[in-house]
Amino acid sequence: MSEIGVLEPQGRPTRTAAFRCDAITKAFQGVHAVNGAGFDVPEGQITALIGPNGAGKTTVVNILSGAMTCDSGREFIGETEVTNWPSYRIARLGLFRTFQLSRELGGLTVLENLLVAPAHQAGDSLVNVLFRPGVIRREEREEAERALSVLDIYGLYRHRDTRARELSGGQKKLLEIARAVMASPKILLLDEPMAGVNPALIELIGGYILDLKQSGVTVLMVEHNLNVVEQICDYVIVLAEGRTLATGRLSELRENTEVVKAYLGEVIDAGPAH
Amino acid sequence: MQLFWLSVGFGFVTASVLAIAAVGLSLQFGITNYVNFAYGDFMALGGFFAYVLNNEVFHLDIWIALVIGSLAMGLFAVLVNRLILGPFARRFSTSHYLLIVTFGLSLIMLNAAYSIWGADVRFYRMPIASALTIGPLRFTRNQLIVIAIAVALMLAVHTLLKATRLGKSMRAMSDNTTLAMTSGIDTKRITTITWFLSGTLAGVAGTVLGIGEGNLTPASGELFLFVIFAAVILGGIGSIYGAMGGALLIGLATEISAAFINPAYKLDIAFVILILTLLIRPSGLIARPGTT
Amino acid sequence: MVYYVFTLVFFCFDYFILAMGLNIQYGETGILNFAYIGFVAIGAYFTGVFSLHSSAGTGQHYILGLGLPFPVNLLLGGVATMAFAFVVALITLRRLRTDYLAIVLISLSLVLYDFCNNFVSIFNGADGLYNVPEPFAKALGLTVNSFIPFFACVTAVISLLMWFVMSRITRAPLGRTFRAIRDDDVVAAALGKNVFGMRLKSMLIGSFYAGIGGGLLIQFGGSFNPTAWLPGETFVVFAVLIVGGAGNNIGMFVGALLVETLLIHLPAFLPEIPGHPGLIEYFDNAVVGMVLMVMLWFRPQGVVPARLRRTSSFGVIARGDDASPTVSAHIAVESPLTGHE
Repeated sequence: MSEIGVLEPQGRPTRTAAFRCDAITKAFQGVHAVNGAGFDVPEGQITALIGPNGAGKTTVVNILSGAMTCDSGREFIGETEVTNWPSYRIARLGLFRTFQLSRELGGLTVLENLLVAPAHQAGDSLVNVLFRPGVIRREEREEAERALSVLDIYGLYRHRDTRARELSGGQKKLLEIARAVMASPKILLLDEPMAGVNPALIELIGGYILDLKQSGVTVLMVEHNLNVVEQICDYVIVLAEGRTLATGRLSELRENTEVVKAYLGEVIDAGPAH
Repeated sequence: MQLFWLSVGFGFVTASVLAIAAVGLSLQFGITNYVNFAYGDFMALGGFFAYVLNNEVFHLDIWIALVIGSLAMGLFAVLVNRLILGPFARRFSTSHYLLIVTFGLSLIMLNAAYSIWGADVRFYRMPIASALTIGPLRFTRNQLIVIAIAVALMLAVHTLLKATRLGKSMRAMSDNTTLAMTSGIDTKRITTITWFLSGTLAGVAGTVLGIGEGNLTPASGELFLFVIFAAVILGGIGSIYGAMGGALLIGLATEISAAFINPAYKLDIAFVILILTLLIRPSGLIARPGTT
Repeated sequence: MVYYVFTLVFFCFDYFILAMGLNIQYGETGILNFAYIGFVAIGAYFTGVFSLHSSAGTGQHYILGLGLPFPVNLLLGGVATMAFAFVVALITLRRLRTDYLAIVLISLSLVLYDFCNNFVSIFNGADGLYNVPEPFAKALGLTVNSFIPFFACVTAVISLLMWFVMSRITRAPLGRTFRAIRDDDVVAAALGKNVFGMRLKSMLIGSFYAGIGGGLLIQFGGSFNPTAWLPGETFVVFAVLIVGGAGNNIGMFVGALLVETLLIHLPAFLPEIPGHPGLIEYFDNAVVGMVLMVMLWFRPQGVVPARLRRTSSFGVIARGDDASPTVSAHIAVESPLTGHE
């Protein structure tokens, strides 16, 4: 599964932080959505960002990916400080994200959706378009072939020429992930990738995410489904009321009374039913 | 110095015209969430309705013609929404198309007016204005009536929004249409009423513009449109009180500037203020939560 | 007769160029440029003052007056328009949502019109520029009547060249990036695209086309004044775009043919109705507005809808419709994906 189009495998994952944030705050008209969130995301692992509703998880993802600015706090990707960088600059450092409600580029075909993703395309430059069409043609062909393999893996190959807005909900979810994968991410932020998705598809997507980890991608996923978290995540960060409440392995966190209280009666213990 | 105070006086008159127009535009934008680019033509048509009543068909007193003409314009606006804008708004969720439709409506209305009345300049039949003095300011009787109308309308709109159920429903819709719908507010009825108000205010604005300028052509409203936009943006797009404040400031600024620069460009000052607002404080003076 | 037909031919190809310019801005990138006709005017005026000689003694007032030959003046006119667009874009394109931007641009158009009308010393005010030298007329010894067919053909050739270039752009990844930004600029940014930079690029390319189209207008007619570019004229170009089919270049030609030639210029040759000067023109413009609305309602994609870009156009040999057999682990779950939700 290493042909997903990612950079060379990182080898055994280490405990160094792929990226981290510190004391992030964000208020909307006086209401603090995020109030002192900070955590390290270990490289090459799958980390879950969990917490009760309203804990500020999606806002944090928006801030980390550059879609929103924070009022205070810092963010680092590796050694580089990227606080309040716009999203396209953060993307160019290798951090990509998916959206909770899939946002497909509706008017483009499925294949075209993927072809938007690779960075530094020669074809984006007007000079190249006018004077070096051969270079562009070659690059397009290479990227298209890679895109078709990715589509193959995600089961979207037969829809390659369909306009993205015509896909079903589940297909759009897969497209969302495939598109991010096509960008050869070093870090991938997934915002509720399993939301509103049927059980068979959940398993499928879970498999894809594990494959990504094997290729060396660092994954941070916002997730409500604690079964999924238990099965595929190495590390968990709990957010509540806009702050980092606790971090660690899920098994440890289950014993943590603060965490249990934050969920206020939500069942954390998966129980024997599964 | 006397020129300065004269300009201030004109400033109040222009501000009055602007305020009526800007509030009419803002009310409609707040409810429907798209800009009506044909608004200038609504103004001109309203002015022409009054003209027909005043100088062509019935020879009514100008102020009575103003009232009837503006109400007629209100009805026209409701009709336009029912037949054209409403259906398009329901069908296309992307605002692109709607803006093009209102732009197209503007072209149709302008040329329809040209077809009916030609491009000649028209004049209202009004009694010769006598000058009155208030402190250092000098006004004609007609100008004072225009200012009085503006003040009265501003108070009426304020009362409507704050004190009546209709006003509360309008404010609710303007904040969050979906929520308003599920709260049992009859959004269709409110939309119709808002268009009526917007059209009526446009009619009043167009007529007093013709009175203030001393003449009227089918393009009068369109050429004034960007000044209205400047007032709305300065005040903060979506805010009614911002529109009033913006109108006052722009009205005064344009007229006072005429004392210093070539008066042919005084309206262009409004555009400069528009650009400055965008560069310095794009949300305007009173930003409405939820807008850019 | 020849005069009539070739005038129609000229306007068809000229508006083809104008439509391509607006298409890259609106059809491809989604920028609602309601000031488009202002850019066309800038192109026309600058092309004019680059080719006119010094204004002294001509009875006109204008800036520059460099007496440059065709096509140098035309190209410089295009560049001048790009410079104008650059400044406008810097001020307005950053973080303005669609309707806010439309308001500002239409205001710009109105103010520019007002300004050129009143400020006589730059482009001769309401009278506009006239006696603009006809390209190649002296060299080829053309009369008024033979110039028109000649220049119509020149315009046709230029438009075809520009079409070739535009095709390249829209077919390239650059075009695809523009469309991505049009469809969802947040996603485009999340994928690493510099949205503002791209929009700026789109504005510049489109404004070059606007400038060339405008420059050709003044060269064809020998004159250009404010009545030629009332702000509402932008709408006519939008009509060309939407009737023809936004987002595709053939559509631009079809739109130019249908709207500009048939609707606008053909009736201009009808005799005036006595007692009602200009009535046909007014009626005509109103009809354009109505045609556009009808089109938007019944066939918003236009006469020639934008083409789907299939896999084959990327130079890849498609393997057929079935999933590749090497990915067996995933085939079994193909069915939950189809007809899902």
